[in-house]
Amino acid sequence: MRRKLAALLTSSLLLVAAGCGDDGNGEDPGDNGGGQPTGPDQVTVGLIPIVDVAPLFLGVEEGFFESRNIEVTTEFAAGGAEIVPGVESGQFDFGFSNVISMFLAHASGLDIQVVSNGNNSTGTEGEDFGSLLVPVDSDVQSAADLEGATIAANTLSNIVDTIVRASIRNDGGDPSTVEFVAVPFPEMEAALANGDVDAAFAVEPFQTLIQNNGVGRPVAWSWVDAAPDLTVAVYFTSGSLVEENPDLVSRFTEAMQESLAYANDNPDAVREILPTYTSLDPELASQVILPAWPPEINRESSEALAELALMDGLLSEPPDLDSLYP
Amino acid sequence: MRVLGIVAGRIGLLFGLPAILVAIWWLASADSEHFLFRPLPDILVAFRETWLGPRLVEDLLPSLSRLAQGYAASLVLGIGAGVLIGSSRTLRALVEPVLELLRAIPPPALIPLIGLFAGIGDTRRIVIIIAGCVWPILLNTVEGVRAVDEVLADTCRSYRVRGLSRLRHLVLRSASPQIMTGARQALAIGIILMVISELQRTDRGIGYTVEQFQTSFRYPEMWSGVLLLGLLGVALSLLFRLADREILGWYHGLRATQKESR
Amino acid sequence: MALRFRGLWLGLAGLIGFGLLLELIPRVGVVSDRYLPPTSRILAELGEAAGADRLWPAVGNTVLTWGIGLALAVVAATVLGVVIGSVRFLRAATASTIEFLRPIPSVAWIPAAIVLYGPVRAGTLLIVVYAAFWQMLVQVLHGVVDVDPVARDTAHSYRLGRWARVRWLIWPTALPYVVTGLRLAATVALILTVTGELFIGTPGLGAEILRAAAGGAVGLTYALVLVTGLVGVAANLLFRAVERRSLAWHPSVRAETPA
Repeated sequence: MRRKLAALLTSSLLLVAAGCGDDGNGEDPGDNGGGQPTGPDQVTVGLIPIVDVAPLFLGVEEGFFESRNIEVTTEFAAGGAEIVPGVESGQFDFGFSNVISMFLAHASGLDIQVVSNGNNSTGTEGEDFGSLLVPVDSDVQSAADLEGATIAANTLSNIVDTIVRASIRNDGGDPSTVEFVAVPFPEMEAALANGDVDAAFAVEPFQTLIQNNGVGRPVAWSWVDAAPDLTVAVYFTSGSLVEENPDLVSRFTEAMQESLAYANDNPDAVREILPTYTSLDPELASQVILPAWPPEINRESSEALAELALMDGLLSEPPDLDSLYP
Repeated sequence: MRVLGIVAGRIGLLFGLPAILVAIWWLASADSEHFLFRPLPDILVAFRETWLGPRLVEDLLPSLSRLAQGYAASLVLGIGAGVLIGSSRTLRALVEPVLELLRAIPPPALIPLIGLFAGIGDTRRIVIIIAGCVWPILLNTVEGVRAVDEVLADTCRSYRVRGLSRLRHLVLRSASPQIMTGARQALAIGIILMVISELQRTDRGIGYTVEQFQTSFRYPEMWSGVLLLGLLGVALSLLFRLADREILGWYHGLRATQKESR
Repeated sequence: MALRFRGLWLGLAGLIGFGLLLELIPRVGVVSDRYLPPTSRILAELGEAAGADRLWPAVGNTVLTWGIGLALAVVAATVLGVVIGSVRFLRAATASTIEFLRPIPSVAWIPAAIVLYGPVRAGTLLIVVYAAFWQMLVQVLHGVVDVDPVARDTAHSYRLGRWARVRWLIWPTALPYVVTGLRLAATVALILTVTGELFIGTPGLGAEILRAAAGGAVGLTYALVLVTGLVGVAANLLFRAVERRSLAWHPSVRAETPA
């Protein structure tokens, strides 16, 4: 009985300690619009704990946000589908999501605004942060061989199936014959090894892990096939924040752009910071292929992506990039 | 006249509160501009368009089929193992701590692990359902078998009722009320796991469809799916009630007589 | 006396045997050790995690979410249950609504919870409270209704006021049901707490399991699942103890089988 009491007490104490870090709900920055310096603006950013968002952490560490009077609190979500409503409802001030999710949200009437680039494909075949992998002993040599195959994607009816179809189409195959199944990234290795799927589109670190463990090999680099130097994901905010506090939004954007440029030029710093917010160990962090982090959004690539999404029936009408993009 | 009054009263009690609640919902949401809480009329339209069509067969059926298979397998495993364990004191003492540990693991926590073994297809989803359903059935069966009345057991021994006959008429019948309790709990858990097993990991099913709507930000359709799940839960609950009355009719009657005589 | 020790030894033997089995299976090669690490490795990961700084806050978060959700559900269900159960009209009027809302699977609310609250405790609390509330309510209703007619008449003859009746008549009758309800609600609440952490992203053991799995750390995943199980076991033991204490006075009427 005493032991249980002790356990309960300890947990409660730890919880108080943990709770102090958890509750990152940012105050409404609109209050700071009066020009009175009441301390740095508190912003909460909704993210997924993946390689792609390293620049934000790097930027915070290097003080790019602090120098612009912004204090950043990060909150991790399981996926883009949580981050978008989180931004819409004001729970997050800014969020990170892929471009297709932006198109879908916009089409559903959600009031969001893209503010800054997130991350891009490296643009180089054979060396990108995501690829289409097949089992090592598979007969498949290129994307067109995957006609009629079962392919694993982490989310369906989103960016992955769009770009994989592009890979197959580019290689001269018919993408409509392919069946996609939803498999979370960590389970793709087992799926390939067991022959449950014919191919899987995996991003880092799973791309590296699958190859390291001798389970799979890449046959196509779908980010590259979709469009040159594809902007994969972006940072966005709600339309209401843009209206209430445009100054904060532009300062955040500037800080973000500085962080992106810094990350692009300092890959070693990126690799060092990865283990601090993901569960990657330093060795894996040194092996993974990093995305590209240009400060500017590649708008042309987004238009190309929109075309693909329209073709695949994901969108019923072209998105209004003028109102969605900065 | 009197009868009419009584019938009207019954109907009023049955539908009164639900009708009021639905009316409130309708009125409160009718003009909703909120991105998530869409007006009830929109949700109902989405319901008709989404579910009363090919999706009924393409999504509803696979989900229900997996639930049925998982539940049936849980019954067989749970009752089978339960009878074995419940009949032997030694066996019970041996496995009890291990079972306590295994059953205490919330089934959703096992999902990433099950994925490593059971592939990505229906097998895996059914295994997830079994992982949760088997425990209430197993543990309640053990309890039920353990508590077989001594007098009845002795009577069976005197009359040399053994083997399959004893199993059927003494053990299973005595334990059946307890087993049914376990089966009812298992059904509720089974529905939950049916939905969970489809999240993020399939391409057909109710849970999957609702999730897809959520991730595509199509909220009226999402709510229509929630509504469907509610109706499903109610329907299965009713089915179970019917089965319970069939199988345990003798027990309920017995209990009723006992209560009266108290 | 000897019998009880025998039980203890057998149980221990069972546990150790199980652990040995899981140690041997991957070592012998029946299953790849990348998918089922041997027990020794799992325990090593557990030891390492216990020393690091992610495990205990996660345990605390899970326990707290579970506790808060359970408390909310239990209080609401008890109050509503006693009120509804004691008034015949209310019972009849709410029966259909309860029967409809009760079987709605709590997980149906996950998408809404995600959208409404995002990856914070509130979202998980929504599904935890919803599920635990109905479990508890049903039991409380049964308990309140089950009052012995003779006892009720006696209370009436002695003109016991409403409050006295609740305290001396309804509550003792309902207590076994309430305790059962508590145990059932607690079990369901823990399952949904972990579910919320896995799918909504609320901080806690479920979220840690997801994170470990997402990083490919299989051994750690197993270790965390084990910890979750241990939390469940601790909860079970706690409620069993509560059950024993609070029902010590209760005549084992319910255990009696009709002769």
